[in-house]
Amino acid sequence: MLQVNNLKAAYGKIEALHGVSFSVNQGEIVTLIGSNGAGKSTTLKALMRLQPPESPTVTGGNIFFHGSSMLKTEPHNVVGKLRMTLVPEGRQVFGNLSVVENLTLAAWTNKGDAKKDLDYVFGLFPRLADRMKQRGDTLSGGEQQMLAVGRAIMSKCTLLLLDEPSMGLSPLLMYEMFRTLKELNKQGLTIILVEQNARMALRLAHRGYVLDTGEIVAQGTGEDLLESPDIKTAYLGGH
Amino acid sequence: MDAFLQQCVNALQWGSFYALIALGYTLVYGVLRLINFAHGDIFMVGAYIAFFLSTAFLDPNGMFGYSRELTLVLTLILTMILTSCCGVTLERIAYRPLMRKGVHRLYVVITALMCGLVLENGNLALLGASRRTLPELLEKKVYVFGGITVTNLKLFVIITAFLVFLFLQFVVTKTRVGMAMRAVSYNKFALPLMGIPMSSVIVFTFILGSGIAGLGGLLFAMSYPVLEPYMGAMTGWKAFIAAVVGGIGDVRGAFLGGFLLAFVEVMVTAFLPSTFRDLFAFTILLLILWKRPTGIFGLPLTTKI
Repeated sequence: MLQVNNLKAAYGKIEALHGVSFSVNQGEIVTLIGSNGAGKSTTLKALMRLQPPESPTVTGGNIFFHGSSMLKTEPHNVVGKLRMTLVPEGRQVFGNLSVVENLTLAAWTNKGDAKKDLDYVFGLFPRLADRMKQRGDTLSGGEQQMLAVGRAIMSKCTLLLLDEPSMGLSPLLMYEMFRTLKELNKQGLTIILVEQNARMALRLAHRGYVLDTGEIVAQGTGEDLLESPDIKTAYLGGH
Repeated sequence: MDAFLQQCVNALQWGSFYALIALGYTLVYGVLRLINFAHGDIFMVGAYIAFFLSTAFLDPNGMFGYSRELTLVLTLILTMILTSCCGVTLERIAYRPLMRKGVHRLYVVITALMCGLVLENGNLALLGASRRTLPELLEKKVYVFGGITVTNLKLFVIITAFLVFLFLQFVVTKTRVGMAMRAVSYNKFALPLMGIPMSSVIVFTFILGSGIAGLGGLLFAMSYPVLEPYMGAMTGWKAFIAAVVGGIGDVRGAFLGGFLLAFVEVMVTAFLPSTFRDLFAFTILLLILWKRPTGIFGLPLTTKI
């Protein structure tokens, strides 16, 4: 589905990705793990074709979506035409819009039955239904995270990129979020997951890639990476 | 009492012009956080477009020779369309390239100021300093209610302004494109992730704002049929201040601010020497801002979580 070949990306003159290659097959959950500054978020922003200054410029390599290069695709067309979207780091909900307005707006490119999808999201996150008319910035961190994931569902995309969905969530909410992701995956959604919580991510994912300072240093199935002694000491806290 | 009510009617008419211009300032500011200082001159361009169109349509020896009613309808529609084109062109050739390069907003604001001056002086160079008069498009009728006299033109101006306000309020609060406009003002980064092209939202905003300014230009020219290249400068400035006092970025604020300024101006002129007008008007607005720095409808500044 997605093939990343030797991707190089930079913020201004500072190169952040030095040739990253990986692939994602339809129906998979693939996770990118690594320490702070490894280039995980940068990779996701580059995949979405988001523009500087917040996002990097691709300086080399290529990204293929179903076989054709998407380097010239504008971000709104990545969502609208290629049907992939990103739940960005820090949630980025529209704080001045109500919950239901946030969700309605996200259905901009959804050609199907948006009303049904809205009911589906409210079924998945009943808390959002309770706070339907509330402004986005009055929600708690966890609720905003649900809203951010809910927006992605409303877009009806087939490939979902998630940047640190567990950030700021209580353990209970985090499990709930991961269970929801697994459920969505079972229904056919392909997921690329970037996580600080590497252990959780590897348990959920079919395959994983380990990023370190802009390069892929290890890859394998979730279980293999969890068991690998090197990975354990470097990224999983040693035990 | 009658004198007071009569002045209120005048203030409503005068406020309609301020409100129509202020709405354009507030829309663009709401979406781009950009003060489009060329907006007053877009209003002037609208008045001139209305002048040329209506003169051409009415001329009995010309190729059209339309009736007044038909001329008014056609001029109104075409003025709005052509003025929108002017606003969108400015955005395309002046503001967008700068914003694409990611420069600080200050440079875009200065560019807008310069665009305004270019429009004014371009008009001066092209059409000369002679004042022009809009032909009469609406046969004058005077209605008397008690001691107050109202012309049909005044009613037309006031009602149009209110309809425009209701329409805009509907667009911004109820439609999806309005949601997108509000969303941009809060978070630019996430908009493309919703699959919404940023440039379309911006162009739509400029079409709305400039179209309304064009409408304002036509109505102004019908009420005070003397056109000159600098007519948009002072009126535009005042409308901008009205928008800020109302709470810039908010449609209700711009509308209310326009009427507030006009009300103060008309009342000062009615009961004091007219040289006191701007001094009093702006002192009062200063006091309002002193109490509410973000304007009447402006929310207190909050930081994002």
